[in-house]
Amino acid sequence: MAAILDVISSMLFGGTLFMIILTSNEIATETQATYNGDMFVQELLTNTAQLVEGEFRNMGFNVPQALPSITRADSTAISFLTDLDRNGTIDTVKYTLGNITELPETPNELDCFLKRQVNNDPVMSVGAVTVFHLSYLTKEGVRIPSPVPHDRLGEVRMVEVTMEVQNPYAPARTASMVKSGERTALYSSSLWQQTRLSSQNTRR
Amino acid sequence: MGGRASLIMVMGFGLVLGYLSTNLNRYSTQALNNMTSYYDATSSHALAVAGANAALAKFYTDTSWSGPMHQSIESGALTGSFTVTMVNVGTYQRRLRSVSTYAASGMGTLHDTVEVYFNTRAGSPFTQYAWFANNDGNVFWQNEDTVWGRAHANGNVHIAGSPVFMDKHTSAKRYDPPRPGTGTNQAIFKSGYESGVATIPYPTDLSIVINASNTGGKHYTHDISVNLVPGTGLNNDGVAAVVDLSTGTKDTVQLADAGFNGLLLSDGNVSVSGVLDGRLSVASLKNINVLDDCTYERNPRFGTSDDQLGLIAANNVVIKDNTANHTGCQIHAAIFTLTGSLVAENLTSLPICGDLMTYGCVIQNTEQEVGIYKAKGGGKSSLIAGFWKDFRYDKRFVDPNNAPPYFPGYYVQAYAISNWWESYRISALQ
Repeated sequence: MAAILDVISSMLFGGTLFMIILTSNEIATETQATYNGDMFVQELLTNTAQLVEGEFRNMGFNVPQALPSITRADSTAISFLTDLDRNGTIDTVKYTLGNITELPETPNELDCFLKRQVNNDPVMSVGAVTVFHLSYLTKEGVRIPSPVPHDRLGEVRMVEVTMEVQNPYAPARTASMVKSGERTALYSSSLWQQTRLSSQNTRR
Repeated sequence: MGGRASLIMVMGFGLVLGYLSTNLNRYSTQALNNMTSYYDATSSHALAVAGANAALAKFYTDTSWSGPMHQSIESGALTGSFTVTMVNVGTYQRRLRSVSTYAASGMGTLHDTVEVYFNTRAGSPFTQYAWFANNDGNVFWQNEDTVWGRAHANGNVHIAGSPVFMDKHTSAKRYDPPRPGTGTNQAIFKSGYESGVATIPYPTDLSIVINASNTGGKHYTHDISVNLVPGTGLNNDGVAAVVDLSTGTKDTVQLADAGFNGLLLSDGNVSVSGVLDGRLSVASLKNINVLDDCTYERNPRFGTSDDQLGLIAANNVVIKDNTANHTGCQIHAAIFTLTGSLVAENLTSLPICGDLMTYGCVIQNTEQEVGIYKAKGGGKSSLIAGFWKDFRYDKRFVDPNNAPPYFPGYYVQAYAISNWWESYRISALQ
C-alpha cells in the first residue's frame, strides 16, 4: 500500500514538475523571441533613421539657390536634389514607401520596403517599415497639405518624418490567446519621429 | 538515491534557466546598445552643430576672424569638445568646418563634421533698380520727370525743377543743389533720398553674356535684325525671327525651346522690334537699335505675364530716327548699356515725337537726354524735339530671381551662407 502511495505521489510530483518545466520553457521562449524582436527592430530603426536623417539634413547641398531643393513632396514619398558625393554634380534622391504586397514572405502583414533611388540607379531597399509618413512645413511652421503643389515646393523648410519598424517575424499565438482586435503574433514595434527636420540649405 | 536525483534535477534546472537568462540578458544588452549608439551618434552630431553655430556667431561679429576655435563642453548631458577652422576654398568662397570629439560609451571616440560654405560676395541683377546711372553725364532732372521704382546714381544728381521720385533715390555722391527745396532742387522724394551711399560696382565687360551666348544661347557675328513674333494667342509660343544683315541668312529661334537659354547676342549692331511672348535677352557688342515698339504679348501692367525682355548693349540703346518712332515709342524691357546710354538718334533734328514709354528698368553707364525741353515757368516744360520721358518700373523685377536671362548684375561684399553639409553614419545599403 505504501509503495503504491509512493508511486502515485511521485507521479503527481513529477507531473507537476514537468508541467512547470513546459510552461517555463514556453514563457522563456516567448520572452526570448520578444527580446530578440525588440533588438532587431531597434537595430533596423536606428540604421534607417540615421540614413534618412543624414540625407534629409543635406538636401539642397550644392544646389543653385534659384532651384527648389525638393522636387516632389508627398506623404509617403519625397524627391530632392543634393550633391550626395560632394563632387559638384547634383544628384536626385528619391525615397518612396513600397507596397505591402511586395513583402509577402514575411508573416507581418503591415511591413513594406522603404526604397531609395539615386538618379537613375536601381532602386534599393533601405529597410522594412510599417509606417513612413512625411509632413511638410513652411518656415513659420505652417503645415502644407500633401502632396505639396509644385508652385509651393519652394516654401518647404522643414520635414516631419514619422517612421515605425516592426519585426517581420514574431511568435505566433494560439487562437485562444488572441483577444478581439489583437494581432495573431507578438510583433515588436519601435517608433521614431523627427518633428522639425530641416536642411540649412533650404533656408538660404 | 532520491537525494542524488534531486540534486541532478536542481542542477539541470539551474543550467537551463541560467542559459535562458544569459540569452535574455544578451538581447537586452544589445537592444540597449542600439539605442545607446544612436544616442552617442546624435550627441556627437549635436556637438559638431553646436561648434558650427558658436563659430558662426563669432564670425558674424568679426568677419576677419579665421579661427581656429576649440571648446570643451561639460554640461552633464553633453560632454565632449569641438574644433572649428575657417579657410578660403576658392575665389569668393570660405569654408567653416566644425569637428566634434565625443567619448562614446563602449565605442571609443566619435567624430562628426559640419561644414558651412560662404560666398564672400553677393550678386543682384540691376533690375532691382528702375533707374540707374553710373555717371551723371550732366543731365538735369526737371519738371514732369517721374520715376516709379528705386533709383540710384553713382555720380552726382543734378536737379533743375521738381521731378518726382516715387520710391527711394540714392546717390553715391551728392545732389545738386544738395538739399531738396533749395535753389533749383525742388525734387519730390516720396520715399526719401540718401546721398553718400556706397558706390555700386558697375560691370566692366559682358563676359557672362558672351559666355552664355556660346553655351545654350545664340551668337551671331554680323549685324542682325530681330523681329519678335508672338505666335498664336497661347502663352510662351513666341519666336525671334533673326536676319543676318550681311548675308541675309534667316534664323528662327523658338523662345520656349528647352535647349535655348534665352540669350541672343551679336558681335555687331542689333535692330529690334515686335511683340514678345516668352523670356529673351537681346544683346549686342555694339548698339541696339529700337526700330519700333517692343512690347509684351501679355502686358504685366494690366494682368499677369511671364514675358520678359532684356536689351543689353555694350554701347548704346538707340531709339532710331524713323517714321514709326516719330509718333512715340513703347519699350517693354529691362535696358542695360555697358559704356553708353539710352539715346534718341539725331536728337537735335528730331520732330516732337511724343512719349518714350519704357516699362521695365533703365540701367545706363551715362545719362543722356532723349528730348530737348524748354522751361515754361510754373513747374512746366515744353518739348522742343524728341521724346517726353515716361519711364515706369516693372515691379516683377523686385524679385532678384525674376530678371531677363543673364541680365547684368552687381556684386557686393557679403558673407552669405551658400551651402551647409553635415556628416552622417550609414549602415551598408541592401
